[in-house]
Amino acid sequence: MTDSGWLQAYLLVGALLFVCGALCMATKRNAIGILMGVELVLNGATVNFVAFASFNPAFQIEGQIFALFVIVLAAAEAAVALAIVLNFYNNHTTVDVDTAEELKG
Amino acid sequence: MVDFLQNNPGVLFVIATLLPLASFLLVLLGFGLWCVFRPYRETEYGAVLYHLFGGDTPGRTPAYFALGAIFLAFVCSAVGFGWYTVASYKHESDVQAKEAEIKTRTDEVRTAKGHQKKEEAEIAALAAEKELASLQDHWKDAWAYRWPWFKVNPSGMSDPARGTVIELGYRIDNLSALMFVMVTFIASLIHLFSMGYMADELAPTVEDHQVHTEDGHLHRRGRFGRFFLYLSLFCFSMLNLILTDNLFQIFISWELVGICSYLLIGFYYERQSASNAANKAFITNRIGDAGFIVGLIIIWTYVGSFNFEDIFRQIRWPAEVTQGEVQPAAKLVRARADGELNAAGKQSFIVDPNGDQVIQFPRVPPEEHSSPDVGSRIEVATSPKPTEHGSIPYWVLCVAGLGVFLGCVGKSAQFPLQVWLPDAMEGPTPVSALIHAATMVAAGVYLVARAFPLFTPEVLIVIAYVGGITLFVAATVAVVMTDIKKVLAYSTVSQLGYMMLALGVGGWTAGPFHLLTHAFFKALLFLGSGAVIYGCHHEQDMLKMGGLFRKMPITAITMLAGVLSIAGIPTFSGWYSKDAIVGAALEFAYAHREHTLLFVLPLVTAGITTFYMFRMWFLTFTGEPRDQHVYDHAREAPWTMTVPLMILAALSWFFVWGWDPSEATASWLEHELRRVEPAAVHVDFHAVHRAAKQFDGKFALSLHYVAGLAALGVVAIGLVFATLVYYYRALNAEETKEQFATLHRFLSHKWYFDELYSVMLVRPALVVANWCKAVDLLGIDSVLHSVAYSTRWLSWAEGKFDNGVIDGLVNLLARVTLRVGVAMRQLQTGYLRSYVLFLVLAVVAIVIALSYVVMTAAAGP
Repeated sequence: MTDSGWLQAYLLVGALLFVCGALCMATKRNAIGILMGVELVLNGATVNFVAFASFNPAFQIEGQIFALFVIVLAAAEAAVALAIVLNFYNNHTTVDVDTAEELKG
Repeated sequence: MVDFLQNNPGVLFVIATLLPLASFLLVLLGFGLWCVFRPYRETEYGAVLYHLFGGDTPGRTPAYFALGAIFLAFVCSAVGFGWYTVASYKHESDVQAKEAEIKTRTDEVRTAKGHQKKEEAEIAALAAEKELASLQDHWKDAWAYRWPWFKVNPSGMSDPARGTVIELGYRIDNLSALMFVMVTFIASLIHLFSMGYMADELAPTVEDHQVHTEDGHLHRRGRFGRFFLYLSLFCFSMLNLILTDNLFQIFISWELVGICSYLLIGFYYERQSASNAANKAFITNRIGDAGFIVGLIIIWTYVGSFNFEDIFRQIRWPAEVTQGEVQPAAKLVRARADGELNAAGKQSFIVDPNGDQVIQFPRVPPEEHSSPDVGSRIEVATSPKPTEHGSIPYWVLCVAGLGVFLGCVGKSAQFPLQVWLPDAMEGPTPVSALIHAATMVAAGVYLVARAFPLFTPEVLIVIAYVGGITLFVAATVAVVMTDIKKVLAYSTVSQLGYMMLALGVGGWTAGPFHLLTHAFFKALLFLGSGAVIYGCHHEQDMLKMGGLFRKMPITAITMLAGVLSIAGIPTFSGWYSKDAIVGAALEFAYAHREHTLLFVLPLVTAGITTFYMFRMWFLTFTGEPRDQHVYDHAREAPWTMTVPLMILAALSWFFVWGWDPSEATASWLEHELRRVEPAAVHVDFHAVHRAAKQFDGKFALSLHYVAGLAALGVVAIGLVFATLVYYYRALNAEETKEQFATLHRFLSHKWYFDELYSVMLVRPALVVANWCKAVDLLGIDSVLHSVAYSTRWLSWAEGKFDNGVIDGLVNLLARVTLRVGVAMRQLQTGYLRSYVLFLVLAVVAIVIALSYVVMTAAAGP
């Protein structure tokens, strides 16, 4: 396997993570579960960034910086989302997102 | 105040003029406030104020105001007249004494021996002259005043003094003072009479039996106050007309009198006949006023002043100048141009009795005046300075005179504008009395007398003939009228004709004299007829009366005094004045044989007058009642109406007596009037007077006396006829009427004047109006209508386009947007999962699309 062959393996892992996250978001009714799916999707993307940074010298710094951004972003997002979930729980005494349908058109 | 009045006693007459105006304004203000408070009559304070200014029921307050004002005016003018008479006699004797003194002084100057004595005499003569001048000035200040009112075109004229200032002013002489007393006195009595006569109008609702509406008779609010409001304005206008010294102010009053007569004739304006009569009176007067305006314009253009004194002084040669005082203007000087205009803009004129120009005299009188002889030369400027002679074309002066006279023809109801006066009977009877006796119709005669020096001999002949025709035509019509007021109306027209004729033939005193006596007995007759009409419950047809003497003796006897007076029975006031007129007419006809008609007409008419007046009296008061219903309900009038009648009856009898009542020419009134006779009368009718004098000398019998005797004879014939026909019934009036059916029809149609005017003027006017209407309808209106229709159609189409296409597109857009929105909202499920699904699907779609693009790009060149 060449270097770029290894890259594809990384990308495959990233894609797997992404698909797992997306499936998790699409199927879970629990808000915490959905947040976990979001984490998976973000991590899938981070794997991609890191992989490209490692294999493409032109992208070395940017990939790593982006990965760091994504991690920080995920943390911030988790904080905000958890706050929303907590408020949602306070109002509905449940974290089932199917009950949150006020935005329905 | 007292000092002021002593120095300016003429102000008394100004006060007398302004009092009725004050009453008018006060009553008008009261009505205005009444109208203001009327909407608030339901509120607490509003009700108090509303009732204070009249309330629902018309009150008598306006009448008290009006009566008080006019009575005070009478008192003022009576005091003023007394004052004037005393003062004028004193002034006359003072002036004569001074003139005599000057004459002796001048003689002394001539005969004095030695230088010293001559000088002393000269100084004394100068002092006397100065005293005389100050005497004249003082007299003028006392009885006349001129006040510049406003300026017309002050910068545009080369001569700033000419034709720029319109003045207000008053000037009292015997004529105006006498007219003042007469008008205020008669108006006071008429006001008193009206308080009784108009009492029906005091009710909150009055039923007018002559107006039919859909639900029976007309019901309206009583108009008692309004009547007196109009009366006050009427009196003010007339007094102002008499007071003033200029034509412009006269014209203003002239129009005011016209509008007041319009308002009063149309007092019952709901009646079609009344409003028609009011219109007729106003429009007929308008024709006369058009002539008046022409006269005013000519006078303004040439003389540049409306003041009578200024006008006369400029168109007539001042008789003589003594001590700077120009004596009344006297002689028209005619001349013709001789030679070319010289460089200074002056032309030489030769005095010529048949010249086509009239010399216009300087406004600033020169020191010396002497009557110019025929053939002498006068330098005349084309645009004269105040100190220069000018000239007026003779025909222009004639037109000015005719124009002013046309105004008088309209106001005084002379032929051919006499048609309005009989119709004016539609007004309440006291108004008829006021119009016929004191105000409206007197104005025309008064103006002719006042403006007499303005009229050229040709115009005077026209005046005489107009008067002659009028007096005859009106008298013949009066013979066949059966309406008691119509008889009186035509008698007024006829008597006014007498006055005009008198003025035209140079009987200047006779005209105003008859005006004054006529005022009393005509007011009496009208108020008497008012009492009869009131007593008979508004029955005016004499054929339904008869035998009323027993029911209303006071009215009958007082009216008899009026009838005797108008008929010219000796010792009654009408006799003196009519005698003067007939005398003047005979003198004129004697000197000018071709104008014999001017004597025959008034003579014959004197008999006709007697006939129709006695016919009226006999038909009304004697014989058997012809309508039992009217007779049974007849009653004597209340005291407010009979008292004026009695006063007027007494005055129509002995008011004008002189030192010997049996002497026709000895009336004090005539004597007083003769003192103000314009000098122009003597000059213009010099030939007439000379011829009369020659006759008197030849036959030892005055022409005047002959005329008086002839008139008496004719009057006696008329009286006998009337008595035979209507008292003894020796001649059946009905049969006579049938025998002369054509004549009767002719007369009862008033000589077909109305029909003639209808054919000549009214119908052509209507035809032209119809043409104009057709042009309007077919031409102008059709164009306008087609424009309007096309605009409307265009708007309609445009509206359709707007609504259909533009709005449709906009609506379509909105609808599509709505549909899309409705469709799209289905996607918004609110389920997080479905959103994520869309997200994923979208990502997949983007990835597929991108990879396709990348692959085709890689596969490409």
